[in-house]
Amino acid sequence: MIRMNDVRFGYHDTPVLEDVNIEIHKGEFVAVSGQNGAAKTTLLKLALGLLKPWDGNVVQERRGQRGKLKISYVPQQVASFNSGFPSKVLELVQSGRAAGRSWLSLSRPRAADRAAAEQALRKLGMWELRARRIGELSGGQKQRVCIARALVQEPDLLVLDEPTTGMDADSRRVFYELMREQVREGRTVVMVTHALEEAAPYLDRTIELVRREGDTWKCCSTTLCSGHFMPAG
Amino acid sequence: MLQYDFMQRAFYAGGLIALMAPILGVYLMLRRQALMADMLSHVSLAGIAAGAVLGMNPTLTGFATAVLGALAVEFVRRGYRSYSEVSVAIIMIGGLSTAVVLMSLNPAINKGFSAYLFGSIVAVNQTQLTLMVITTVLGGLFFGLLRRPLYEMTFNEETARVSGVPVQWLSLGFSVVTGMIVASAMPIVGVLLVSSLIVLPAALAIRLAGSFAAALVLAVVFGLTGVLSGLSASYYLDTPPGGTIALLLLAMLGAGILLRKIGLKLTRSRNKQPAADEPASSTAGTTARYANSNVIGGQQE
Repeated sequence: MIRMNDVRFGYHDTPVLEDVNIEIHKGEFVAVSGQNGAAKTTLLKLALGLLKPWDGNVVQERRGQRGKLKISYVPQQVASFNSGFPSKVLELVQSGRAAGRSWLSLSRPRAADRAAAEQALRKLGMWELRARRIGELSGGQKQRVCIARALVQEPDLLVLDEPTTGMDADSRRVFYELMREQVREGRTVVMVTHALEEAAPYLDRTIELVRREGDTWKCCSTTLCSGHFMPAG
Repeated sequence: MLQYDFMQRAFYAGGLIALMAPILGVYLMLRRQALMADMLSHVSLAGIAAGAVLGMNPTLTGFATAVLGALAVEFVRRGYRSYSEVSVAIIMIGGLSTAVVLMSLNPAINKGFSAYLFGSIVAVNQTQLTLMVITTVLGGLFFGLLRRPLYEMTFNEETARVSGVPVQWLSLGFSVVTGMIVASAMPIVGVLLVSSLIVLPAALAIRLAGSFAAALVLAVVFGLTGVLSGLSASYYLDTPPGGTIALLLLAMLGAGILLRKIGLKLTRSRNKQPAADEPASSTAGTTARYANSNVIGGQQE
């Protein structure tokens, strides 16, 4: 699904990632871990095509199916950057359905969009708050709304950067179970997390960023968790 | 008042700008680019000065310079992603200093500049009105047809890019439309107050609206109210239109914020009353129902 071959990347003149060779397969739940500053978010952005590698390449492919890989991304604390956004929870999640459609806004939201938004919000325990403005929610609640927004896009690949930040224990458990459900439905989930021990029972694999020299990090020692995929590299 | 041609032109022009500027303001505020309008008006001033010095139509050169300035700010913004306000400062300094130097080359053109600086009803000529019509049509098509990707980009540029929105092109188009609207609004409110027409209605609408679409509609309503009543007041009180419109919009913003606060206080005190009378079992039930939802009371931000 995503292959990173001999990827090297840095900011300005300083390399931060070297020798990145990983492969993420269809239908697995993978966690990316590492110390603070280990370039975990950078790794995700390279995989998503938001950053271009200095060397090597990143391949996104949808094996056996036509069309581009459909990806949903939930950046770190995405909603906290835009607390004044004048949208209610349901409107924001429902708009996620339209994200991958035509650029031109000629069609009106469909009944199926609302149904999908309702389902995602119910799964994340946020349906009761559908009429609240996004800025009126706590950090953990905003995070759950953004995850619901990513889910309604029905992506092939779901990429989340520290998605459980600000969530309470119950919400985190619901989140991990929901991600397993996504994987059972054939989706691939990649997330950055610091809570590896807590997430381990739900994961298929972890990718760890280890220090190479100075501030340069190397990917990766991969560890097989409860899943069935062989570690790459 | 409307028997005069110049007043008719001012009302047409004001109405058209009041349709577009507040919509632009909503997007600019949410993209944290509220100062961009102010900056572009200063850049446009350099174009007007250049036009006057070179013997060209200052309206057209000002318009073109505002659009070029908007494109420049987009490119500088990409270089200073973490400090996007730096790009605004850089381009504004460039625009204003160029305008000052150009104006000093020909002291005779200084006189006509007060109309551009503070806005003047009589400053609206046929060329400016035509440019406003073109801007309104193009801006309307841009904001109407691209509403969905604009919403995505405004919420978060990275998630929009991953979802397939061509953010770079859209952002570039947005900058061009911004330049056009700013340049069109200048004859009405002037260089120094152009951002009032863009930022103030949007600031109030964002606070009051319950949805994104409502924010856009409310911003236009506030903008139209401010511009049309401001132009009338300016005519009867013999005050500069730019200042009058800006003061009216400021008064609306102040009143709107005050009324909202009063409304929130009333709602809170109304909600407090029945809660105190509720039986203990009912309160416990509510707590249990929301336990998994991590509900918080009132507003946090």
